[in-house]
Amino acid sequence: MAQLFTPGADALYRLALMTGVACLVGLPVLAAGIVRSNYVTGVGIAPAQPLPFSHKHHSGELGIQCRYCHTTVDREATAGIPPTHTCMTCHSQIWTGSDMLKPVRDSYAQDKPLEWVRLNKLPQYVYYNHSVHVTKGIGCSTCHGDVTSMQMTYRANAFEMQFCLDCHRAPEKYVRTPDQVWNMTWAPPADQATLGPKLVAQYHIRGGERLTECGICHR
Amino acid sequence: MTGAPDIAALRAKLAGGDGPRFWRSLDAVADSPEFRAYLAAEFPSASRLAAAPERRGFLKLMAASFALGGLTACGGGGGRDHEVPYVNQPERIVPGTDLSYASSAVFDGFGNGILVTTRNGRPLKIEGNPQHPWSRGGTDVLAQASVLGLYDPFRSQAVQHLGRPSSWAAFRADLQGQMPGWRANRGEGLALLTGPVTSPGVAAQIARLRTAYPALRWYAGAGASRDGIYEGARRAYGRVLETHPDFSRARTIVALDGDFLDLGPGQVGLSRRWIEARRAAYAEGRLLTLHAAAPTPTLTSAKADHGIVVPAGRLEALARDLLSLAAGGAAPGGDDPVSRWARDAGTALNQARGAGIVTAGLSAGPELHELVHRLNGALGNTGATVIHTAPTEETGAGTLADLAEAMDHGAVKVLVVLGANPVYEAPGALDFAARMKRVPLKIHAGLYYDETGAHADWHLPAAHPLESWGDVRSLDGTVGLIQPTVAPLYNGRTLAEMLAFLAGGEGGESGQDALGLLKAQWRNEAEDDTAFETRFSQALRLGFWADSARPAETVALTQAAAAVPAAAPSSATAANGVEVVFRPDSTIWDGTHADLAWLQELPKPLTKVVWENVVAVSPGLAERAGIATGDILRVEAEGRTVEGPAWILPGQADDTVTLTLGYGRDVPDHLARGLGYASAPLRPPGSPWRLADARLTKTGERRMPVTTQHLGTMEGQDLVRVQPVGAPPVGDPKGAPTPASFYPPPESQDRWVAAQWGMAIDLDACIGCNACVTACQAENNIPVVGREEVEKGRWMGWLRVDRYYAGDLDAPSTHFQPVPCMHCEQAPCELGCPVEATLHDSEGLNLQVYNRCVGTRTCQSYCPYKVRRFNYLDYTGGMTPVEQQQRNPEVTVRSRGVMEKCTYCIQRITAARITSAKDAHAPIPDGTVETACQGACPTRAITFGNVADPGSQVSAARRDPREYALLGHLNTRPRTTYLAELAPAADSNGREG
Repeated sequence: MAQLFTPGADALYRLALMTGVACLVGLPVLAAGIVRSNYVTGVGIAPAQPLPFSHKHHSGELGIQCRYCHTTVDREATAGIPPTHTCMTCHSQIWTGSDMLKPVRDSYAQDKPLEWVRLNKLPQYVYYNHSVHVTKGIGCSTCHGDVTSMQMTYRANAFEMQFCLDCHRAPEKYVRTPDQVWNMTWAPPADQATLGPKLVAQYHIRGGERLTECGICHR
Repeated sequence: MTGAPDIAALRAKLAGGDGPRFWRSLDAVADSPEFRAYLAAEFPSASRLAAAPERRGFLKLMAASFALGGLTACGGGGGRDHEVPYVNQPERIVPGTDLSYASSAVFDGFGNGILVTTRNGRPLKIEGNPQHPWSRGGTDVLAQASVLGLYDPFRSQAVQHLGRPSSWAAFRADLQGQMPGWRANRGEGLALLTGPVTSPGVAAQIARLRTAYPALRWYAGAGASRDGIYEGARRAYGRVLETHPDFSRARTIVALDGDFLDLGPGQVGLSRRWIEARRAAYAEGRLLTLHAAAPTPTLTSAKADHGIVVPAGRLEALARDLLSLAAGGAAPGGDDPVSRWARDAGTALNQARGAGIVTAGLSAGPELHELVHRLNGALGNTGATVIHTAPTEETGAGTLADLAEAMDHGAVKVLVVLGANPVYEAPGALDFAARMKRVPLKIHAGLYYDETGAHADWHLPAAHPLESWGDVRSLDGTVGLIQPTVAPLYNGRTLAEMLAFLAGGEGGESGQDALGLLKAQWRNEAEDDTAFETRFSQALRLGFWADSARPAETVALTQAAAAVPAAAPSSATAANGVEVVFRPDSTIWDGTHADLAWLQELPKPLTKVVWENVVAVSPGLAERAGIATGDILRVEAEGRTVEGPAWILPGQADDTVTLTLGYGRDVPDHLARGLGYASAPLRPPGSPWRLADARLTKTGERRMPVTTQHLGTMEGQDLVRVQPVGAPPVGDPKGAPTPASFYPPPESQDRWVAAQWGMAIDLDACIGCNACVTACQAENNIPVVGREEVEKGRWMGWLRVDRYYAGDLDAPSTHFQPVPCMHCEQAPCELGCPVEATLHDSEGLNLQVYNRCVGTRTCQSYCPYKVRRFNYLDYTGGMTPVEQQQRNPEVTVRSRGVMEKCTYCIQRITAARITSAKDAHAPIPDGTVETACQGACPTRAITFGNVADPGSQVSAARRDPREYALLGHLNTRPRTTYLAELAPAADSNGREG
């Protein structure tokens, strides 16, 4: 009786086994990777907006302060998206004929709001308050990245729970002096290890266990 | 739970002292095996599945659960949203931030001061206006639910002509064509029907209309009209007057079918004044006793210190007894409870001459009101503790009966119905719908396309009070202003606008006229623009015109009419003959608010029935006629019948049947359609609240009303405590060492540096009105689950008000106890959770983390207080976009499969914490955080704050000797504690004391 299996069958069998094992390990890794990929989280992807507004130009090159447009960032939960009126304070005077700015002028003339594509969004069971972070020495760039270098604005961080907890567990690593809050290119100074805990005490931040209690962000 | 209960056995059990001291239902007293089984099944609906005998079925079910369980994780999300800023940002409107407007809630034409919290231009929540002189920061269930009414998808959304969609322009054109004809014959044949009118603006427009058409007839009608009150005053004083009790100077109160604590236009203001006086009296070491006689239990009789059950027909005789006592006559002899009560009440009133109050309610007849006025006069109370003012309602309108008669004669050519629903509300004998057919042109305006709308040629959508300009008087006459918090959702018009159009033939097209009308109403002729605008905007900011309450008037009693021989107590001796009393429903009032699901699912304070009305019968009658709860009863009088499920109500007068208003609606596309029975057909036009003789029969059918009264039973424990004045304290001993715990403390004490939140609930102040429950529902996005789900025990309220009876089955004393989450320091629920979805924070809050919860429901079964609620189904999905507008964006909308419970309004705590952290890191000042239930409470029964701060109000409450913990012996160390209810020291009525 002839052999049922050719000598090569063994190899095939081993290959199948190994593929199975690889899939068992690899598929979850792949899935986890996809979930965290920029494709899903949107990090680093600048979507098309009604007009190509450049933070790099306005905030970086011209040096317009964040709060000129995001007026409520240090007072309310939301930072605020500027009304068309804010754009027109300058653009009724400069670049009045620019094609690029036509949507702004149309919005103002027709009283139709601009519809920006949203970049940053938290799940509905997470409650975030801009004002308390900003007044407690957490700078814009910690979450939003170096906006002053973004020609087209994109999401800088995925805002997964891990991201928030990093800071809530050890605020002393991220906390800044009040004058540095608006600095988009801030990097921890050399003495952050000593300055941080001092600032945490000064701001009365109750770090560690208190800031990681569920009720701080979820309700 | 089923079958006729053995009432005699129950009675014996209670009398013999074998029964529980406090009980919730007849089933609980009977303690039958069926009831035990019901209680033992933690999840009544699940017990059916668990009992499935076959292994295969069980495995199939489990497999399906696992497979489908995964699906729950597949939510929407994904995709990019848009951010839409303003073009020109309006001043003061900051997206995502609350903005509050002072306005007025309208209750059957009467006002209460409110603050409307709006966010992003959407009204979300009603708070009381603490500055309002009448309501003083309290609210009632209707005000709390009015925000749901605004977003109600069943609201009338378009003008309709002969049942087809039309437009305001078509309506205007049609009427403008007819108006010259009306003018030519001075308005002959024109009839205007409104609800009760207190608004000076609306009254001015009606006056203008009557000037334009001198022959126009004005009628006012409502399901719960106050005609009896006014007629009683007219008989006693010769003119129509409003009567106000002044509790602050009172030493004793006697309520003869009184309703000052019951739902009604006066509830918020009166209950607040009552509790303030009662608290002041307690501070002096005495009790402001309330003697109450009522044919059917009410919230007022439930709070009575000396209560008695008296048939409606005997109340007048009782008042005459008191009157003869006041005149120095002999006390009624006899040793029956009624005579004893009359002697007690009479003595108390005589001892407190000039400082007593006798009061009767909405449903008391004019005769009783007249007697009460004469009684107060004889006792010297009038002018001292009983104040009279000009009537708050505009007078001079005819009644529904007058209108029906005019229609019958063919005298009405044009009928304009504004904000009333006579086809549903009118007594059956008036046969309103049929008579309305004789009117050539019928115009109806209302919030809903209701029964009357369906019978009208033109139906017009009215504007909701939250989207209107207007004014309205409170019971004391204070003029509250109504300002819009959102543009009209459905292009509705206010009553004043429509009246102005009818009078002038123009205006009313833009919906913008109401502000102009309001300003014109309040502007003095001599005033210049700036002065008026300043005055007007100040009043708008306040929400009312300061000092606009009606001044007290001196009154003199007329000569008493020849003493009518005391009508023999209606002897309901004919076989199955019963006396019927009618009452407004305790949650949906007269049906105007029947469409609000929050109110439908709100357990009625005394029966805890939801989604329908019941036919209340006394235990005695049930015993004699063999009636069990759920038997469909037929009540028959003069050829008209009403059928509804029986409810055996302890404290109901024998041979008296109570029917309530507001149900049995018959409008397509209406939430309330098909719920309960309509009692209007039986109401006699002459005496709308009482039908002396009716036949009661069993139909043989059964349908159990759905009730929440067994849910969350905490069996046989020392739950409600009563503190007799002057007796040793019944509260937990203060300063006793904390019992040791088997478990390590959840927090080390040195971490307890932050505020420690706690709540104290004063049971003496709780009148069971449910305002807290509705406020909690509005604030915390609590879903409505529907009748079937409640039947399965899935009612979702985070706060329930338990109702306990004590004593005699036929005349028990009643106690209310609101039960939110206790936020136990040693919380049993936290031990059960396998995924730490419920745990403590350092401020002592027992947190529920929805995104961790996997729905094992272990915490629910570990909770001894039964305050945890589980989302069995996706109750929040599938809501129309307009309803979603109402949701509070500060609170997570829970999805299927998660547990939820009271959070002590953590969103409000967080907001206060963030504010204080941003300021000077100062501690949160006492009183800054007000929970939704606390804010809504008209009697301020709830105190909330930092228990670690000895100076806080809640700490002061916790030091009260009446303070006790619910199930404290379990060593759960609850943060919510109770103050025992007060009772008279020496109990003369044999009540539990």
